[in-house]
Amino acid sequence: VNAVDLQQEYVVETVECHPHQLLQVGGKSVGLGSLLRAGQRVPDSFVVTAAAYADWLVSEPRRMSDSVRAAIEEAYRGLFQGDDVTVAVRSSATIEDSSESSCAGQFRTFLGAGGVRQVVEQVEECWLSAFAPHVDSYRADRVHEIGAAADASAVAVIVQELVDARVAGVMFTQHPLTGDRSLVVIEASYGLGEAVVGGEVTPDLFEVNKVTQQLHRRSLGTKPHEHRLADGAHTVATLAVSADRQGEWSLDDNEIMALLSMAGDLEAKLGRGLDIEWAIGTAGDGGEELFALQVRPITVSPRRASLEGGPQTDAIAFTLGRLAGRAMAAEPDGKAGS
Amino acid sequence: MWLTTQLKHEGQGLDKSRGSFRNPYDIDTPPGADGWESMYPAYLLFDDGMRVRDEEKLWFFDQMHNPEPLYPFDLMMPESWLVSLNQYTTRVWNLPTALGIEHRIVNGRLYLSPNVIDDPALIAEREPIFLERARHYFENWDAIYENWVGKATDCIERLKSMSFSPLADREPESTVTSARGVTTAFDLLTSYSRYLENMHEMAYYHFEMLNLAYGAYLTFLEFCRSHFPAITDDLVARMVAGIEVILYRPDAELRRLAARAVELGVGDTLKSGGEPDVVIATLRESSVGCQWLEELEDVKDPWFWYSTGAGYCHANRAWMDDLRPPFAAMADYVARVERNEDLSRPLEHLRSERERIAQGYRALLDDEDAVAFDNLLALSRQVFPFVENHNFYVEHWHHSIFFDKARELGAVFVSAGLLDEDDDIFFFHRYEVYQLLYEMEARWALGVPTRSETIWRSEVGRRRRIYAALEAWQPPPALGVPPVTVTEPITVTLFGINSDTIGRWLEAEHGGGDEDSFRGLAASPGTAEGLARVVHRSEELEDLVQGEILVCPLTAPSWSIVFARIAAAVSDGGGIMSHAAIVSREYELPAVVATGVGTQVVHTGDHLRVDGNTGVVTILQRANVNGVAKGASMSSQREEVGS
Repeated sequence: VNAVDLQQEYVVETVECHPHQLLQVGGKSVGLGSLLRAGQRVPDSFVVTAAAYADWLVSEPRRMSDSVRAAIEEAYRGLFQGDDVTVAVRSSATIEDSSESSCAGQFRTFLGAGGVRQVVEQVEECWLSAFAPHVDSYRADRVHEIGAAADASAVAVIVQELVDARVAGVMFTQHPLTGDRSLVVIEASYGLGEAVVGGEVTPDLFEVNKVTQQLHRRSLGTKPHEHRLADGAHTVATLAVSADRQGEWSLDDNEIMALLSMAGDLEAKLGRGLDIEWAIGTAGDGGEELFALQVRPITVSPRRASLEGGPQTDAIAFTLGRLAGRAMAAEPDGKAGS
Repeated sequence: MWLTTQLKHEGQGLDKSRGSFRNPYDIDTPPGADGWESMYPAYLLFDDGMRVRDEEKLWFFDQMHNPEPLYPFDLMMPESWLVSLNQYTTRVWNLPTALGIEHRIVNGRLYLSPNVIDDPALIAEREPIFLERARHYFENWDAIYENWVGKATDCIERLKSMSFSPLADREPESTVTSARGVTTAFDLLTSYSRYLENMHEMAYYHFEMLNLAYGAYLTFLEFCRSHFPAITDDLVARMVAGIEVILYRPDAELRRLAARAVELGVGDTLKSGGEPDVVIATLRESSVGCQWLEELEDVKDPWFWYSTGAGYCHANRAWMDDLRPPFAAMADYVARVERNEDLSRPLEHLRSERERIAQGYRALLDDEDAVAFDNLLALSRQVFPFVENHNFYVEHWHHSIFFDKARELGAVFVSAGLLDEDDDIFFFHRYEVYQLLYEMEARWALGVPTRSETIWRSEVGRRRRIYAALEAWQPPPALGVPPVTVTEPITVTLFGINSDTIGRWLEAEHGGGDEDSFRGLAASPGTAEGLARVVHRSEELEDLVQGEILVCPLTAPSWSIVFARIAAAVSDGGGIMSHAAIVSREYELPAVVATGVGTQVVHTGDHLRVDGNTGVVTILQRANVNGVAKGASMSSQREEVGS
């Protein structure tokens, strides 16, 4: 693993974030890049690379250099064609979101930054947060695995248009506990996805059969509150959800089918076993759309029966073995969802 | 081990602390049924000498084949399948881990109990024999099945050619002129023996291939579940099920005849809904009507040898003997043809669905597993025509003729003055019928009465009263102590006995369940809501109103003609491969089977929700108390179950 190249650009287009650039742009950015290359609708964004962070880190006194500031301002104005688009500013560290690590969410996310000045401030806040104690202790444990060269340099920041989500959540393209590849598991709640990702609410749960495209199981969550954009989309407000809406399903059949189709499309392009963050809502002046917000691989040990007796070559011998009472090893240890 | 596997699948083993079912030796005789034991052979009753052993076993009610009390003569069927099925398991295949399924009768109901081999030495001794013998069948499956169809058909044809005629006042002269030596009375005796042997013979064919076929299917099912824990039994069945299945043929013929009637311009006559005799008489008046009737006649043999029940009770007549069910169905179908509905089964659609599901699951597997999937699926599909088709040959075609021949013999006893009605013969066990035959022969030989003429007839009266009293008894789904494992494939696949079933029954037994909902096996997907119609026998099917949910001890395939009217089916008995489940899936009707308690906790008129995906049946609202007496007796039965 090479050290972050300090000569790298300070700001890159998200679609250019490839897996081999993990150390420059972080896991989240690579995930967003994959979604874009897979043709998904993703909110507009750009990435402030680890090179910018490194530049800041070595500055004395510690401050954002003019060239970094200029790069961010240019990207912001270029992408959003204006100075007043509400964005989310999130750190995209190289440790977080890698498939080996499941410490997602410990880094900083700032929702609702509006205007280029606030964006620049929040990028710097993200850098600062890399020093937060809880983050430090986590990284101290992991840093030897990443390689000493990664050092403290690897914090990239994503600046992304904020979707005013009516409903959002996560989706697993195979059952995260049983590993059943025939199921897509969707968790959904009202408002921005942070309520689901952060475990603030018990989301509605939908398990959908990929083969039959039918609902296998669903359970109604408690969805006591939601985060929505407020104040001309400049702040995020936490609103109570009425009892009636709590009792309703947050997704209808068409929306579930759209998510199922997204899961199939992404598995075909990115491989099996994905954990996808998604939102249904509006960005800017557009109409309501389904957005993919994030993707990462999930690691579930693959299910398989012992093929002793070789059904690949002799189904009769295998069947006879079963009838004779030989146990099929590696039996499932629980029926999914019941 | 089959049940071990089931336990692991369902995540909860059998917990002994959950308790046992009622002791089979402590079951009260219902009022008015004293002496019921005298109707059945002693070897089928719980015996005090076996008490220590028998009260420690699980005995489950064979709701699927005999939901109603057994008529003594009808015991011919279970008794013949006891020996044929179990001989195959125990002596022919030498299944390493299973012995036979035992039978006992309690208050007229048949209870079954599987047996396990757990001695490793014995298992090891049986295994090589089993592997070699069973392999021979699997490797030669298609040829053996083709030959099987020949044997089964021949057995049926021989049965058909048998007849029982009353003894004439005088022996025919030909006995003398041909110097025959033996008489027509002797013919009756030998015919009766051959007739019983014929039933035994068919029972052997019934089970010749069934254990192995279920075994292949279960292996595929288990493979699918190990990779896709959420896969439903229904989806696996749909991947395997045949498309052109003989079992659907009778209904398909009705649809065809209905369309033909419309074509010939006699649809209105069929649609009139009159008694079949009247409809036929009207049809005879026109030449096109006669033409249609000729076409009907061409279809009747064999397709109207189709029982209105499971084929194990003489009281469920075949269409051949009772044209009302097929005529009622055709009246419905004529109306649908006139509305331009296409009544033919969408074979192409069914075929492509079957492939779509199979390919969909296959695509989720890694390469090596996908090959294994292909091979196991291919084997399952190879054995499946037997599973689906044997049912028509055996239970419908053969058994229906068998019962008709018994009536023929009954008529012989009526003409000899020993019985009042042809059907009275069914109140006697087949070995008692030998006594009847002998006594008739003796009287015929003597030319004077043997004893008081009313002896047999009054015995019929006594048994008829006992039978009626037994009908009122609500049999618990199981008795005795649940086992640790069950290894017998038919118990698991056909009867749906697994840890889940047993757990649910125990819960109901000990009052742990939610009385407004109960569970069974999810046998056919979809959900439906509607008013319940509790139906115990096929005559009550007429009461079914469009959109109602059928709640019954079991659904016989021939009931499929009412499936166009119902919203869902719930049955007390049956497994995922039961006749009920297969036909429900065919009709794309939500179905929950093996609830054990459905007919006991649901009343006609209750508002139900049936979830064929999860197997849960919910009573949303109780019916108004319109049938006070019925409601009262139902609730007292519930209390009994709960105590």
